[in-house]
Amino acid sequence: MEVRGRCWKFGDNIPTDQIVRSDRALAPMEEIVRHVLETLNPAFAREVKPGDILVAGKHFGQSSGRAIAPKALRATGIGAVVVEYAARLFYRNCFEIGLPLLECPGITAGVEDGDVLAVDIAAGTIRNETRGRVFYARPVDPFLRRMLQAGGIIPLAAELAEE
Amino acid sequence: MNLVEKILARASGRERVEPGEVVVANVDVLLMHDLSGYLTSRVFEQEVGRPMRYPDRVVLVFDHHFSPPTEERAEILEKTRQFARRHGIHLVDCQNGNIHHVAVQRGFVRPGTVVVGSDSHTPVHGTLGCFAAGLGNNSHAGMVMPFGKAWFRVPETVEVQLEGRLRPGVTPRDAALWLTGQIGEGGAVYKALHFTGGFLRDLEVWDRWLFPLIAIDVGAKCGFIDPDEKTLAFVRAVTDRPFEVVTSDPDPVYAERWQYDVSDLEPQVAASPTLGNVHPVGAFAGRPIQWAELGGHGGGRLEDFRQAAAILKGRKIAPGVKLNLVPSSREVFAAALREGLVEILFEAGGSWFPPSTGSNQAINMGALSEHEAMVSTHARNFPGRNGSPKAMMYLGSALTVAASALKGAIADPREYLQ
Repeated sequence: MEVRGRCWKFGDNIPTDQIVRSDRALAPMEEIVRHVLETLNPAFAREVKPGDILVAGKHFGQSSGRAIAPKALRATGIGAVVVEYAARLFYRNCFEIGLPLLECPGITAGVEDGDVLAVDIAAGTIRNETRGRVFYARPVDPFLRRMLQAGGIIPLAAELAEE
Repeated sequence: MNLVEKILARASGRERVEPGEVVVANVDVLLMHDLSGYLTSRVFEQEVGRPMRYPDRVVLVFDHHFSPPTEERAEILEKTRQFARRHGIHLVDCQNGNIHHVAVQRGFVRPGTVVVGSDSHTPVHGTLGCFAAGLGNNSHAGMVMPFGKAWFRVPETVEVQLEGRLRPGVTPRDAALWLTGQIGEGGAVYKALHFTGGFLRDLEVWDRWLFPLIAIDVGAKCGFIDPDEKTLAFVRAVTDRPFEVVTSDPDPVYAERWQYDVSDLEPQVAASPTLGNVHPVGAFAGRPIQWAELGGHGGGRLEDFRQAAAILKGRKIAPGVKLNLVPSSREVFAAALREGLVEILFEAGGSWFPPSTGSNQAINMGALSEHEAMVSTHARNFPGRNGSPKAMMYLGSALTVAASALKGAIADPREYLQ
């Protein structure tokens, strides 16, 4: 599974509140998605295209564990999230809703906003086509790989219940 | 094994578990509040479509709204009430208190259990010797509700040993804020934090509670304290439901051991944009505030109102300051009434609000304009959380909140305690 697109780069310690403002969490997704990450980069929600890659720094998605934050990112059409490391609830939520997330220490030093990236989710590689460099993400637990393949936790839980 | 490993082993039907393993464990209680409850109810009914397996283990507390501010919010609460009735789960409606305080006061949380919740501060229940972790909506809707289970990666454990005695004017909340800065945001990602040490042992349960509360904000999966006589007496006073205590083996294996001494601390304040921006109160002293609040996750305890009263008795807060008093539960308000704190804080210029999570997320009690600032005992200070993203939010102890309300600016409480 490979996704290729423009890199949208964000900083460290970004809370879910800044991905989706908490007072918008109950709004319809069509509205939420127009405001994703707007306080950090207003162009992101307007210009993001399916297959683009979101890159961020340390402890991405900290604070509230609302799955609405990764769901809103998925609704923008981004193909993958690549971070130095994620907050654990955000990490968990991404796999549970079927949004691929890779943790790749050193990634923020190797890519710039606007670079073209190709991400191989299964292999855990991130190729920066603009700069000709390759990065290797931390391996993903087999249970979580299975969850992504199943399409998230809802189908996986049903599968496990049958076993 | 330590307490968390033992609980996870038991709940997943294994002899033992090792850090790094993924287990599927039985869940004893699922705690949800009014924001996440509605989102989860939609996923459960629209995407899962199975029966609620153990309705008695699911608890919904309306704490972010004590009164819905709009027709739309009223409708969301009503739909969530109907969901609770349809599936026979516990519902604690508006004006009863903060989710975590209510869960403890009503005996839903007991030592040795697996507690999960949608609120990210769910790890606070490690205070009573539980394995308690926050999960996302889809975990609850897809696995906990239909099957009574959840998946967990067994965390590596770090010992956080706290020693020393606090100086006058410095409270356990100051120590917890300081510790957040010491460990750092993301300083303990995916870890379990085992809080130990003489400082902690000497604290009462509601003060111990402030330490597992910070687990999420340093990135940890959970925090826990081994139950002792104080814990058991506390739990027995709130519930007669049975429980089976689990404690860590002597000398459990730790990934790391961190030691801290709180003896030289000054009062601490964490200013926006994040909790990691924590400094001694002097760094922010004199910065104007218009809102002061005793409430929020981990705030609004009886201990907080006692501290505030020690400073505010016989005094008046500064003109132009609103002092919001938000008890964390009805039991806290009743106790404050008995102790005379309700009158002392009202006479000082404060206003009492219904038991709830307070002004958190600008739902009940208005929003901050970009020109305003708030000092509170809340757990978070992220931009935009209580109104304008430009509004400053300062977190501090109840003493610091009270002193700042008197001055109309961030103030060192020690000036008022002599």
